[in-house]
Amino acid sequence: MASPKIMVIDDENIVGKMLKVSFQREGYTVETFLHAEPALQRLSEEKFDIVITDLKMKDIDGMEVLKRIKKESPDTKVIMITAFASMDTSIEAFREKADDFFPKPIKIDELKSRVKKLLGD
Amino acid sequence: MKLVHKITLGNALGIVCIILVAVFSYHEFDLLLAKLRFVEIADSLNASFLKMRLSEKNYFLYKDREALKEIKEQLKESYSVIRGLQANIIRAIGKDNFRELKRDLNEYEKALELVEKFDLKDRSLESRAKAIREAGRRLRLFSERMIRIERESVNSIISASKRTLLTFFALVILAAITSSYMFFSRMFRNLRRIERTANAISRGNFVKIEGPIPNNELGSAMSAINSMCEELKTRHELLIQAKKLSSLGILTAGVAHELGNPLNNISMVAQTFIEVYDSLSDEEKIEYMETILKETQRIKEIVQNLLDFSRPKKRDFRASDINRLLRQSLRLVRNMLHVSKIKSRVELQEDIPLVMVDENKIQSVFVNIITNAIQAMSPGGTLTLRSRFDEQEDPDNVIIEIEDTGKGIPSEFISNIFDPFFSTKGTEGTGLGLSISYGIIKNHRGQIDVKSEVGVGTTFFIRLPAYKKEEVRDGKSENNGD
Repeated sequence: MASPKIMVIDDENIVGKMLKVSFQREGYTVETFLHAEPALQRLSEEKFDIVITDLKMKDIDGMEVLKRIKKESPDTKVIMITAFASMDTSIEAFREKADDFFPKPIKIDELKSRVKKLLGD
Repeated sequence: MKLVHKITLGNALGIVCIILVAVFSYHEFDLLLAKLRFVEIADSLNASFLKMRLSEKNYFLYKDREALKEIKEQLKESYSVIRGLQANIIRAIGKDNFRELKRDLNEYEKALELVEKFDLKDRSLESRAKAIREAGRRLRLFSERMIRIERESVNSIISASKRTLLTFFALVILAAITSSYMFFSRMFRNLRRIERTANAISRGNFVKIEGPIPNNELGSAMSAINSMCEELKTRHELLIQAKKLSSLGILTAGVAHELGNPLNNISMVAQTFIEVYDSLSDEEKIEYMETILKETQRIKEIVQNLLDFSRPKKRDFRASDINRLLRQSLRLVRNMLHVSKIKSRVELQEDIPLVMVDENKIQSVFVNIITNAIQAMSPGGTLTLRSRFDEQEDPDNVIIEIEDTGKGIPSEFISNIFDPFFSTKGTEGTGLGLSISYGIIKNHRGQIDVKSEVGVGTTFFIRLPAYKKEEVRDGKSENNGD
């Protein structure tokens, strides 16, 4: 079985970098993007198992990213990450069928077990 | 002197003038009356003398003894008139003339007595007759002269009093006009000073009335306005502080998010560091730690920025980079932009001249205008910040533009938007933001203007004097009075 492919979209450089280091050790293939547009472009070229995206970015709303992924490739699981721990955004994220919702600061171990669980299903 | 005193004094002077005119006229009329009365007396004396002379002729012509009796009666009557009205006559013609009159009468009487003693047939009668005729003629001449003189004097009194009254009225009118002019022009000048200050205050520019304060009711009004101005200024400062605190509420959410990112970064770096510690080289370990240090520095800056914005500070003018201030302001409202789904665009001219500003205040102006812009836009709108300096366009000022694609301000409101308590946001806004901003820009010797089109958007233009080294001292001293 080919290694599961994960995409990380976050305008904070360090988030992508650290998740890459950590997930690669577990045998995942990880690609990181700082902006949503090139990420969506990449998604249209290749199928990813999981997308971990920030909810709030400069050029495009994470919610918009979620909608487009769910429309174009419904199989891809999406985990939303945000520092914006408000009820409204969480509810909206779930309504738009986000597969999980993670507040910042991210606990990498927990994120890993969620990813594993989502892939196992 | 108080205005009420001045007005009372003016009225009193007017009344005194009227009394003077009345006294003068009374005196003149009295004199005139005396003269006229004397003319009457003189007329009757003249008539008596005429009768005397007629009887005198009859006596000499017809040798009529009865005629002598008539002369004597007329003489007696004349004496009684003169005696009875002596005071009046003296007053009219003077003592010397009166004495002359009496002497003439006495001479006539003596001449008459002499004539009486002689017989009509006496040859020396001719010479006696001559003496009496001479005395009679003198009496008539005298009375005629008196009448003429008195008539002339009556005429001259009338024309003199006419002249005096006219001159007096002319002087009074001239004095009234001059003093009114001086009184009102000074009053209007002071009223205009009050008007100017009131207008300035209504525009949010709390300047006191300068120059000497007159010691009258207007002066009291001016002092009252000045102390009101002082009070308004104090309250204005408090309002600025309150306004800042309310924007602080909006900002706090944004700042919380701002802090969230570096905190998350530190947390992730630390977690990964622990996880992969064994496989890391020394250089890599140092690199991890340096990333953490960099992120803590980032947190420090965000906190500092927030503190700088909220803390009331003494005026602190320094040569600043306006682009940096614009970027910082944008960072403070990043969360609002995100929540409202507003895109931001930044078109800042590099190597722009520095501006001499109080950074906190200028930043609060930017944040205020940007906040308004965001509230005016619906999701998908664009906020554009521009800065430029163009010697051709404006050699003295750096120009900042804050443009939104919001609903725009109706033209009838444009002239009011910098007025205190003017708000189109209903209960949401205090209506103070822009008036405070206006005051801040004015205090920087800058200018703030707005252009807006309903349905298209609004652009604020802020001009701030470009900093030139030789102006530093001037700028500081002129800006001391906030």
